[in-house]
Amino acid sequence: MFNESHQNEAMRVLHQRTRRHFFKDCGMGIGSMALASLLRPSSAEADSQLQNPLAPKKPHFHPTAKRVIYLFMAGAPSQLDLFDYKPALKKLEGKPLPKSIVGEQRFAFIEPDAGVLGPQFSFSKYGQTGAELSEMLPHLGKMVDEISIIKSVHTNQFNHAPAQIFLNTGSPLSGRPAMGAWATYGLGSESSDLPGFVVLKSAGGISGGAANWSAGFLPSVHAGVPFRSKGDPILNVTSPEGIDRKTQERSIQLINELNQKTLNDWEDPEIQTRIDNYEMAYRMQSSAPELMDLSQESEATMNMYGAEPGKESFANNCLLARRLVERGVRFIHLYHEGWDHHSNVVGGLKSQCKQTDQACAALLRDLKQRGLLEDTLVVWGGEFGRTAMVESNATLGRKNGRDHHPAAFTMWMAGGGIRKGQTLGETDELGYHVIKDPVHVHDLQATILHCLGMDHLRLTFRFKGRDFRLTDIHGNVVKKLLA
Amino acid sequence: MKLRLFIIHLCIVLTMSLALFLHAEPEASVNFSKSIKPILADKCFACHGPDQQKAGLRLDDAQSAAKLLKSGDRAIVPHQPNVSSLISRIFSIDPDEIMPPVEKEQILTEEEKSLLKNWIAQGAEYEQHWAYVPPMRPKQPAVHLKNWPENSIDFHVLSKMESNGYEPSQEADPYVLLRRLYLDLIGLPPTIEQVEAYIQNPDPNRYEQVVDDLLQSPRYGERWARRWLDLARYADTNGYEKDRYRSIWPYREWVIRSLNEGMPFDEFSVKQLAGDMLPEATEADRIATGFHRNTMINEEGGIDVEEFRFEAVVDRVNTTGTTWMGLAMGCAQCHGHKFDPISQTEYWQLFAIFNNADEPELELQDPKIVRKRETISRKIQVLENALKEKFPSQPPNDAQTNITKYAKGQYYQERLNQWIDKSKSKAVNWQVLQPDSMHSKFHATLTQLPDHSVLASGDKPNRDIYTLTFNTNLDNIGGFRLEALAHPSLPQEGPGRAHFFQTGDFLLSEFKVETLQSDGSWKSHSIHAASDSHHKKGHEAERSIDGKLDTGWQIGSRTGEDHQAVFSLKNPIHREGKSTRLRITLDQSFIHQVTLGRFRLSATSQEAPKASGLPAKIESLLTKESNEWADEEFALLQSQFQKEAPELKEARQEIANLKKTLPKLPTSMVMTERSPEHARTTHRRHRGEFLQARESVIPGVPSLFHDWPKDKPVNRLTFAQWLFQPGNPLTSRVIMNRTWQAFFGKGIVSTLEDFGYQGAAPTHPEVLDWLAVEFEQSGWDMKHMHRLIVTSATYKQSSKLTEDLKNRDPENLFLARGPRFRVDAEMVRDIALHASGLLENKIGGPSVFPPQPASVTDLAYGGGGYRVSQGRDRYRRGLYTYWKRATPYASFMTFDAPNPERTCARRIRSNTPLQALTLLNDEVYMETANALAKKLLTQSELSDRQRIHRAWIKLTGRPPDEDTVEKIERYLQYEMIALQKKPEAAGSISGANKQDPSTIHLAAWTLVCRVLLNLDEVITKS
Repeated sequence: MFNESHQNEAMRVLHQRTRRHFFKDCGMGIGSMALASLLRPSSAEADSQLQNPLAPKKPHFHPTAKRVIYLFMAGAPSQLDLFDYKPALKKLEGKPLPKSIVGEQRFAFIEPDAGVLGPQFSFSKYGQTGAELSEMLPHLGKMVDEISIIKSVHTNQFNHAPAQIFLNTGSPLSGRPAMGAWATYGLGSESSDLPGFVVLKSAGGISGGAANWSAGFLPSVHAGVPFRSKGDPILNVTSPEGIDRKTQERSIQLINELNQKTLNDWEDPEIQTRIDNYEMAYRMQSSAPELMDLSQESEATMNMYGAEPGKESFANNCLLARRLVERGVRFIHLYHEGWDHHSNVVGGLKSQCKQTDQACAALLRDLKQRGLLEDTLVVWGGEFGRTAMVESNATLGRKNGRDHHPAAFTMWMAGGGIRKGQTLGETDELGYHVIKDPVHVHDLQATILHCLGMDHLRLTFRFKGRDFRLTDIHGNVVKKLLA
Repeated sequence: MKLRLFIIHLCIVLTMSLALFLHAEPEASVNFSKSIKPILADKCFACHGPDQQKAGLRLDDAQSAAKLLKSGDRAIVPHQPNVSSLISRIFSIDPDEIMPPVEKEQILTEEEKSLLKNWIAQGAEYEQHWAYVPPMRPKQPAVHLKNWPENSIDFHVLSKMESNGYEPSQEADPYVLLRRLYLDLIGLPPTIEQVEAYIQNPDPNRYEQVVDDLLQSPRYGERWARRWLDLARYADTNGYEKDRYRSIWPYREWVIRSLNEGMPFDEFSVKQLAGDMLPEATEADRIATGFHRNTMINEEGGIDVEEFRFEAVVDRVNTTGTTWMGLAMGCAQCHGHKFDPISQTEYWQLFAIFNNADEPELELQDPKIVRKRETISRKIQVLENALKEKFPSQPPNDAQTNITKYAKGQYYQERLNQWIDKSKSKAVNWQVLQPDSMHSKFHATLTQLPDHSVLASGDKPNRDIYTLTFNTNLDNIGGFRLEALAHPSLPQEGPGRAHFFQTGDFLLSEFKVETLQSDGSWKSHSIHAASDSHHKKGHEAERSIDGKLDTGWQIGSRTGEDHQAVFSLKNPIHREGKSTRLRITLDQSFIHQVTLGRFRLSATSQEAPKASGLPAKIESLLTKESNEWADEEFALLQSQFQKEAPELKEARQEIANLKKTLPKLPTSMVMTERSPEHARTTHRRHRGEFLQARESVIPGVPSLFHDWPKDKPVNRLTFAQWLFQPGNPLTSRVIMNRTWQAFFGKGIVSTLEDFGYQGAAPTHPEVLDWLAVEFEQSGWDMKHMHRLIVTSATYKQSSKLTEDLKNRDPENLFLARGPRFRVDAEMVRDIALHASGLLENKIGGPSVFPPQPASVTDLAYGGGGYRVSQGRDRYRRGLYTYWKRATPYASFMTFDAPNPERTCARRIRSNTPLQALTLLNDEVYMETANALAKKLLTQSELSDRQRIHRAWIKLTGRPPDEDTVEKIERYLQYEMIALQKKPEAAGSISGANKQDPSTIHLAAWTLVCRVLLNLDEVITKS
């Protein structure tokens, strides 16, 4: 399916002829019926030539997930204080770890002989499966039977930007397509009037920046489109001041009439695409605000998430993610910054968990009660873990923090074909190295694609003479994660 | 089992009959390049190619493919397919035997198999890959339509058309052609006046005249610079998390000016690759090396700086491959190239050529600024000389009582003497130590200056440890002085190397002294006190002897000055024998590159020395007897007194204020080749990974290519010159192919970035070779080539897509019509600004900040800092827009501007609803629509229809037809009526405060212009 001829065909369509986009071939909003019928030309013939790079495509095999909500905890949460309970660290508090454990690992800030910092919170068992969680995650505790906790994730990168880009694109250097871009490249989009790959963020700005949702060398239609939870959700989706919906409609009508004349003269199918895109733009102008309008949600739902209308918050974004899922968006990437606790890991985690724990659990519950969790894959995690050793630095004013730790960290996944209520993988007594069922970042990527019905080895794109893939030249599907 | 057997039998029968059938057919001649190479490259080379040779078999050259294998077989025996094991293996039905192996899922079709067989039967002749054979000027072919061709390009294009049953389209309508020419050569549409002048010009050479004018236009350089900057991955920020601002706009300006001057392309290239190494390199030559400084810089805390320098060099090698060689060099970084004959070692040899440069910022001697600085400096000098005059003639108390006790100058003398006495008592007799070895743990380049101070340059690691050794004959050493010294090469003149956050500062974590013992061991000497001349609060020199690495001496904001710390020993160091061997360690274990940039060490035999706060030279004078001072030495002491005397505080303030007004020189990021004694050693990296250094390699270029010039050193400069030597098969073709793509929307080789085995075959090899040879022989004259292309009949064809062409050649592979495609992102906006009269014509200078929603830059770490430019800077051409890598200018990204993280040889061209939203609703386009409306309305003598007419020509370059004018007029009238009911809306749209008919009028016209700016024809080159 994704062999060279497929790519050539796609590139040919993209480069030489026409570029139907997100919104071609979709149902029309009622408000624009008149406009559409007025403007839609009799160009069935032209239509047959056109191909939409985002039209739904068949996966390689039967998928267990149709879409993904990825909750990216940017900055890297401390697995040792949230998931991976290591009482042995308490006994070593303040003492350096043996050299045999630390090895040649590179650290961002601390020295390899920094003293140990024990777990900072109490842990208890939750759910029927008795998964161990920190007291910081009471809400997740109630949903723990729905998720697979993976304590054995590891990565190659120990700085934020490269590690985030590595997790999202398979390469620590920017310039490759993000997971969401691969997903819409492989599967197209099922949304009629929204992009296939949407990015939302809360808290601070994101270290890896736009490289995290880049289309890389894939056609730019596959790039993630950032939605804002405040102001215009999509850039320029609101008409300029003074231009109401009627004026906008009349203006687009004239634009398209004049473009139609150009089409008649030049017969360039690109012009037809442009005409369609103006209609779609008009529809987006009402569908986007409708999407963002949380007033349609019940008070119970709002309370469950802890969402407040008009706020840029993780809770609002989780609720928006559900609304996006309902509208057929393929890949939704939520970024929540602020987990980089080089100092005061206790205070930092308290504040971060307060902002995220309830909403994460609410998202799972809400998806479940709407029957969406079955075929929606939810992934939670940061770009690496945090050290068992303490970070303190007088000059930087840091104390009781933890540094970056790529060798082992925890993530969880749920829904979309993931086994429920299990804890996968193990780290050593000190939470330092993975000792059982290691899951490399490339394995995680392979597994996410697998859930979407795609073989990571076959989802390739030829660029500069090489077939590139999300997992570079690595990656194995983690079968134990699958239901 | 039975079934399987049956199938096998069936297959045998089928295969045999197929073989018979094939044998019976007269065999058509099989062309290696066209038919065989694609099969081998796609399905065989990965295991039997330049990189891997499984079972010892290599299929990419004739000799290897025919040699006797360990198995006793020969894969290819020319003329004898029956004994060639390649054939038996590909036709095999045994799953263990068949090639390609089953698990590779690379199944050969029956057609492919028989092609291979016939090829071997015909002698298995190999051909060198076309792109590796130097181009020759092809013979001019005969054509039927003899009147059509304007130049050689056309003969070749027409010949291909004719042999495939096509004929050229008519020449484009003059209006359309003129606009096409303007957009292609200068990136802006013609003005109404230019359109009218052209149409009315009866001269048969009017087209050529316009071509000449446009090639001389200063706008030409801007248009073509933008394309080059895509390859250069130009941006105004460093990338990664911090993504801070960088100053490299002088490089952009250099590109624009060089293109405008028509600098030959070889010179243009050599300067960018190695301008710093040219004999007597000028400032401009060095600015040009900014090309490869456009790589990203990671400034995240806690990184390994060397790792990201390494990544930048990787990017330089790959970008060079793409830009000048059309080769995917990156493939050979991790292993030998799978398809093209480039080994992994050869990749790292090329890497070595690029791995020997330092990456400084160059201060540009802008003559205007230099003059200003000189004027101010002279004023400062005058004021400093006059300080003595400003000294009060008597103490302040006496002045009040009006009693004059002091003769002229006497009070000054008295205070001077007091100061000398006081200072003498503080002065310590220091002996400057001359290091005989200097070592930086993380590879900074340490150089000893004539005054025995040490200057750090080159690599700038996050943290460092300097170790220096000295011999001294001083006895009873009581302490050491560390001077941290300013230097113009350092950020904010130092003394530290930090270039952000704590610019110009350093942090000395620990200061350590040891002496060499007779048994060869080093003895550590404990320091019991430290003092300093100045420190940042909480960062006293004592912090450098507290045994903690996370604390240390810093100077904070007082950069650009000299400072000192003195370390006093608990027990003096006694000399044993003639001299003492000292080792001093400066541990700087902090992040963010806060290391010392320039410093000097001294020792004293005085007991318990303290920092005097006096400059070294003054301190040394003060240890001498007064009668030993020479006149100039005494003058020096006086000037120091004047710098310290409280009586002169006000006068000094005036000088300090003046110093603050010294304008800064602009800087640009450049490359500087390292001196031979600091040359870097390059190692091959296993799997291309930074941490997996293997054997060292010497610089070199892949053996595939033309010969290296004799007796020339293997370095960046020779490499750059080598690219332009005769015999290079690639560079001229690669450049001409990209040029062709700029005009026609598609390259002759459609994979602009890959001319290797895996790249696309050229559609018009003769055109490409003709252009390549012409380019070389014209002296690499780019304007000459542009002229040839735009004056060709091929270029001038109408781009109308007839029914026939739509069906037979939708991709325009035969070039039987002209190009039609949407213009580049920046041009979309440039056209709007130009037509509305807003465009600011200034060339060059720092980047500007046109309006965009604030939410764009909020997405990235550290958020915005995007302050919208005011005044004319809002309306500069797109290539001057501030380019932030983490959150690039949004509307350009919507129109497919490339992200400058990597080099980009071809932009993707999409057509999306987000583009519609941008043109409809973005502030920039509302503003231009409004400006255009105002412009139209200022001509009060015009009727509405005339205005529509004018606006249409301004934007599309051609007059509108009657129907178009009517449609627009109807819309105008309707909106006028609608707006009368909504005066507030009219106010918002027009931007006018008044509520009167003129506001309604302006608002309605703004709406009209907005519609026009959205038209396909406006943003399309037709």
